[in-house]
Amino acid sequence: MKYFNLLILLFPFLSVFAQPNCEAYKYYGDTLKYDACKKAMEIKGHYQFSKEYQTVLDESLKIDPTFDYAYWAKSIAYLKSGDFVTWKKLIDKAVEYKPKEHLGYRGWCRYQFFRDYKGAIKDIEKLDSLVDYDIGQSQNGTYHLNITKGLCYKAIGEKEKAIEIIEKQIILNEEDNFVGAYDYLHLGVLYLETENFNKAIELFEKQSKDNELAENQYYLALTFKKLNKHTQYKSCLKKAKQLYIRQSRMFDSYSNPMDKIYLENIENELKTAYNKT
Amino acid sequence: MKKSILKLTLLFSILCSCQSEKKTSEKEEYLRWVGDIEQNDQIDETEFKVCNGDDKILQYFNLGEGPVYSGEKSKIINMLKSKYQPISDKKENGLIRIRFVVNCEGQAGRYRVLQSDYDYQEKEFEKKIVYQLLNITKGIENWEVFKRNEVPVDYYMYLIFKITDGQLTEILP
Repeated sequence: MKYFNLLILLFPFLSVFAQPNCEAYKYYGDTLKYDACKKAMEIKGHYQFSKEYQTVLDESLKIDPTFDYAYWAKSIAYLKSGDFVTWKKLIDKAVEYKPKEHLGYRGWCRYQFFRDYKGAIKDIEKLDSLVDYDIGQSQNGTYHLNITKGLCYKAIGEKEKAIEIIEKQIILNEEDNFVGAYDYLHLGVLYLETENFNKAIELFEKQSKDNELAENQYYLALTFKKLNKHTQYKSCLKKAKQLYIRQSRMFDSYSNPMDKIYLENIENELKTAYNKT
Repeated sequence: MKKSILKLTLLFSILCSCQSEKKTSEKEEYLRWVGDIEQNDQIDETEFKVCNGDDKILQYFNLGEGPVYSGEKSKIINMLKSKYQPISDKKENGLIRIRFVVNCEGQAGRYRVLQSDYDYQEKEFEKKIVYQLLNITKGIENWEVFKRNEVPVDYYMYLIFKITDGQLTEILP
């Protein structure tokens, strides 16, 4: 978990896709791609959204219209501005020319920005079928792509399948000491929703030890409510509120994560709790 | 009566079509930043002003606080879901993005609409759907005021609506 937190802290400052090694193209005799790559490297120092950044990449694509990296780099600003039409055209080109490199990314973005659950599943499963190595993390490092896939299955109503996928991936993540910041929480919520309350509590307790969040205490409260344990129910809600106020809550720079809650949710539940007893 | 209905329909179509953002050509000239929205006095409210100049408008995520809503997202969701009147139609599926500028006082303007089906292909939704979402979004009076080095900034924000069979199923980001 500590490595995971470090990674999350560093992510906003990293260009997560490593820059391509232009020399490698030269070494393999692909001089066109080498020239396109060298041109593309002129983006350094320009903001992804800027005219200069986009123009350099257009020039790179004029040299080699099959250079996947340039399509990918161009697509980012469109993604972040919510222009799903242009983003999809560009990222599809990157996937077309280097599927193994970009399918996982496209799948993740479909989920993170557009909640395109079926599209994300399709991309992640396609990637899995193409490679014999670990398919890796989401672009922002928050989830293993299999956890993302599980969340997408949950969103389309296949909760048992989601549980199976996420459980399996968490075991692997634990072996690598690389459990995601919200992995236990999501699985706990799935258990709560499928009325496996004891398992839900077990997972929320693990989340508490790993990375305590307002959401975790909130869903734990809902679990105790289902079990008619009113003292714990109220106590967890109070903790949830305190955590929420001091910003210990789910966060994503671009979107609102699945299972995220708001202060209003906690306060409404507190009203219910105190009206009841 | 018939005349006023006709006038209303005409106004309605003009409003929707003017604010639609068409992606017909990929070779358009770049502005300062991808997605920049220039003031167009024919469709935008002239009273709306940015505080620090167009060349200093940021993106909502540049401040590192994620998508923040005045009164939190739950307020926006509740408001949209209570005001939106679903149009039951199996053909009405896809994404609608409404993007706009929020100025240093938390007021919004320069709304633009982008529409696609679930395969990310541009399409046009039934105008009643777009018009409603645009109007409800315009009705949100206060957006979060973001500051950089204690100075309130202008920024771009957007809402994406997922529409399935004419129903509003999700609001992003």
